[in-house]
This record gives sequence, C-alpha cells and structure tokens, in this order.
Amino acid sequence: MDVVIQIVITGLTLGSMYALASVGLSLIYGTLGMFNMAHGLFMTLGAYVAYSVAVAFGIPLVLGIVVAMAAGALIGIITHLVMVRFMLGTADFGTNVLVATAGLGILIEDLLLKVYGGYPYPQPLAVEGFTRIGRVTVTYQAVIIFAVALILILGVAWLLLKTRFGRAIRATALNREAAMLMGVKADTVFLQVMALAGMLAGVAGLMISTQATLSPQMGGDPLLKAFVICVVAGLGNVWGAGLCAFGLALLEAAIGFYIGVRFGFPAMLILVILVLIWRPQGLFGSEKVVRL
Amino acid sequence: MTQLDDLTRHLLIGVLVIATFAVLPVFITQRYLLGEVIVFFIWAMVAMNWNLLMGHAGVFSLAQMLFFAVGAYGMAMGVTFTGMSVWVAIPIAAVSSALLALIIGMACLRLTGAYVALLTYAIAEMIHVLIITDTECFTLVRNNCQQLFGGSTGFSRFDDFGFRPLLKKHWILGNYYTVLAAFGLTIFGVIVIIHGRLGLAFRAIRDNVGYASSRGIDRKKYQVVAFALSALLTGLAGGVYAAHYRFAGPSLFEFSTLMFILAMVVVGGLGSTWGPLIGTGIMMIVVEFSKEMGDARNLVLGLALIIFVVVMPKGLVHLASNAWRKVSHDRQETKADS
Repeated sequence: MDVVIQIVITGLTLGSMYALASVGLSLIYGTLGMFNMAHGLFMTLGAYVAYSVAVAFGIPLVLGIVVAMAAGALIGIITHLVMVRFMLGTADFGTNVLVATAGLGILIEDLLLKVYGGYPYPQPLAVEGFTRIGRVTVTYQAVIIFAVALILILGVAWLLLKTRFGRAIRATALNREAAMLMGVKADTVFLQVMALAGMLAGVAGLMISTQATLSPQMGGDPLLKAFVICVVAGLGNVWGAGLCAFGLALLEAAIGFYIGVRFGFPAMLILVILVLIWRPQGLFGSEKVVRL
Repeated sequence: MTQLDDLTRHLLIGVLVIATFAVLPVFITQRYLLGEVIVFFIWAMVAMNWNLLMGHAGVFSLAQMLFFAVGAYGMAMGVTFTGMSVWVAIPIAAVSSALLALIIGMACLRLTGAYVALLTYAIAEMIHVLIITDTECFTLVRNNCQQLFGGSTGFSRFDDFGFRPLLKKHWILGNYYTVLAAFGLTIFGVIVIIHGRLGLAFRAIRDNVGYASSRGIDRKKYQVVAFALSALLTGLAGGVYAAHYRFAGPSLFEFSTLMFILAMVVVGGLGSTWGPLIGTGIMMIVVEFSKEMGDARNLVLGLALIIFVVVMPKGLVHLASNAWRKVSHDRQETKADS
C-alpha cells in the first residue's frame, strides 16, 4: 500500500509540472499552429529570474511565482513580437518556426550560461518540511506544486471557457479566417496566447527547479516530456494534454519505481508510439478531413 | 551550347568539386587546415543528407545526429569489441544505421509534419539518455570499465584508418583522401537520388501529398525509403568521423551539434542541391570566428537560425540564383532592345 501511495504522490508531483508545461505548449500549437522549441527555455528563464529576485530581495514563494509568471509572459510576448509575428502565414510556417524557436532556445540557453555560469544552484524559493501519509514522506513542496498547478490549470480553463478573451482564443484555434471575419483580432489573440503560455512555462520552471537544481539545461528534459504528452494527447488539445500529463507521469513514476528510473522515459515513449500507431491523431484528437 | 539535363549537369559540378578538393593538398600543407577540411567533408555529408530528407522528401526529422552517432558508435564498437578492421566496420555501421532508420521510419512516418519532428527528436534523446546513464560494465578495456555503449565517456583510442605507420608524417593525407572518397560517394549518391526518379517522387509528395498519392505514389513508402537512404549515408559519415578522430561519444547527441548542422542546411538553402555544402563552409567559418570572440558559438548559431528563417527561409543559394536570373534576364532584355 505504501508503495502505491508513494507512486501516486511522485506521479502527481511530476504530473503537475508536466501539465503546466504541456498545457502552454498545446495552447500555442492549437492557436498558432506552431511548435515552440524554446518552451523549455521559457521555463528555465522563469526559474532563473525568480531565483535572482529571491536572492536579491528575499521574497516569499507566492511572490516568486508571480515573478516567474511575469518573466515567462514577457519572453513569450517578446518572442511573438520579434519573431513569430513576421513568420505567420508564410510558406512552410510549421517547420520554419520550429527551426527559429529552436534557434531562440539555444540563444537563451547560451545567454543564461554566460550570465549565471553552468554551475547548478539550489532554488532558494523551495519550501522546507514534510508530513507523512502512512509511512510515506510527503514534502510540503510537493503539495504546493500540486496546488499551484491545479489552481493555474483551473484558472486557464476558466479563462478559456468563461471569458470573452477565452472565446476569442478558442474561435481562432478552431478557424482563424472565420474568427477574423467575425471581428476577432487574431494578432492580439496570438500575443495573448504567447503571454499566457509563457506564464505557465515560467511557473513550471520555478516548480521544477524547486525539485532539482537550477541549470541552463534544466528545461530540456521537461520540454521533451511535454512534447510527447502533447503528441499523445493530440496536438493542440489542451484538456487532453492536461490529462495525459498526469497519466504519463503516474506511469513514469511506477516504472521508475519497479524497473529503474532510467527506463521511465523510454517506456513512456514506447507506449506513445504504440498509441500513435493505433490512433495517429492522438488519444483526444479528432480525425481531420482535409480537402485537397 | 547544348542543354544538359539536370542530372548530368549536377554530376559534372560534383566531379569538379571533388577534383578541386583532390588537388587542394598541393596548395595546403598545414596539418591543421587539412584537418579542418576533413571536418568540412564530414559535416557537409551530414548536411547534404539532412537536406535530402528534409528539403526534398519533406520528412522533418530531428534524428539526423542519431544516425550519425549510430555510424560512429557502430564503427567504434565493431573495432573495440570484435577487433575487426576499420574498413569492414564502417560499411557495417552504415548499414546498421539504415536498418535502425527503417524501423524508426516505419513507426514515425505514419505521422507527418511536426509530429515526425517531435517523435524523432524524442527517440534520439531517449537513446542519448539511455547511453549516458548506463553504468554496467560490459568488458574491461585497458583495465577500465567499458560499458556496452560506452556510457558517459564513449569510446576512444581505438584503431583508425592505419595510415600512421604507412605514410609516416603524411598520415593526414591518407585520412584526407579516404574521407574525400566518402564525401564524393555521398555527393554522387545524393545527386542521383535528388535528380533521379526517386527525387521526383519525393518532391511530388513534398509539394502536394494529395495529388502525388492520386498518381500512385505511396507517401509513407517513399518517405521511409528517403529516411533509410539518408541514414545510410549519414551513418557512413559517422563511421568515417569515428575512424578519423578515434572517438565516438555521447557529445554527438548534443542539441547544439544538431543545431549546428541544421544551421548549415538552413543558411545554405533547404531544398536546394548545393546549398548545404555552401552553408557548411559558411557556418564553419562563422563559428571559427565566434570562438575567438569568447566562445559565442551557440549565440551565433541561434541568431543565424532565427535571422535566416525569418528573413530568407530559402537560404543563400536561392538568393544567389535569383540574382543570377535577374542578371541574365536583364542581359537578354538589353539584347532585345538593341
């Protein structure tokens, strides 16, 4: 029983972080049709900025989250204004933007390396202490991660489903031309989506750094998993991405416990490939009929 | 002048390029510079193959360095564990690379576009992580633990081409011409594919899947073929690399290396024939300079990728050919006027 509790807790903690990362990624793909290869660096940037502010001013975790969100949103906005805006609607947008964001990712990573150095720092915003469920240790940090992820994802869900702003995003994702004809300012929507996704990524980065350490490469592994989660959920399907994040994280935790941590991701990937052979459009994706 | 068809014309250019490089050692004698040209050959091979796959067959794969690594590792493992000759190990490594590509391709190419990019990237990264986290000793080499796939240090100090005892202080020339031979093989292979019937099918699929399919071209089948062929030649480059450097390690999987090659293809011109070659030369020179300015390699790579994709997504070759067309067009007009 303890083992099951342990796996569930590890899975939920991992799943919270994956969900924050992959919901943003999925939102961007759904609306702009772009794969953000720099998403991992959005996370890293959020974590580093929160770290710097925390070291300088000694802020509490709540403010740290706000700072990470602001940093993520800012980099999302800059990315859109400086780069993506000019590429939208050009030929081969999908692949070109992938290359460009990958370039941006390696650029930010190098800048972080130059500013902070490659030495891993501990995140000062982490919360100490733990409680026990049965004989299983649960750190407060894990509880906070889960709570933050839950609040933010429910917040995003509320935004998307209940507000005008969310309706504009959903309309644009569904059919860009039709939305524009109905008076939705697609450019503004894209900017808002980039900011929103960047915000989620910033928080995800902060949460990940409290579990491990800060390093310029820390975003790589979560990004990879977020990609896989988005693909298995069906690209652009935000709800599916959230669900799959928890599902795959639980699987990873279980395999990590029973077989070995290094096989967690490979097992996840093999499962994903099997799923895709069975349903190429992803678990929650709907089959698209394309007229040629 | 008689009009040559594309294939013959490009093959002739290929002969010219190889002949130029073949006489180059007459003028360049410093070992360092020859070494740099060898590196150029190797990266150009990888870039040309990636361009074949991405620019012509429309498969956006991010597993290019995986197949390079399979070539390098295959060659290193063959030599280290079985003691076979380098000349046998390299072809075997290249073929294993193609076989792996066949398997990965059959699984991934059910999907298209960005899905393929993500899955291939995930697979390459997974293999990378599995290799570096492996700590179990397979054998002992010189009293050091040697993991089956080299662990986090990889393989080094195995047999190379064996020109050192043969050519004494001119051993680098032996390596030079061996790599040049592989380079030539790649150039001819890629040109024959691009400008032959296969390339026609690839471009038909890339330009309009629906129309190509209705004409009886099976997208998946042709893309898997492109994937495997490209991996075969990339594996060859990897094998040659390992034999030249006597090294094969997990650094080959690094994301920045992948981006370095991608920058070559993008800067040169995706979907062209000679673009990757030019891109390789330019990126190598640019990176060489950026190293002197305080290791700004990744910064320069990132900037180059962003600028080229945003400003001229078809690369330098497209720019050059446009300019050429404009010049010759103007000349014809002035002729007509006079």
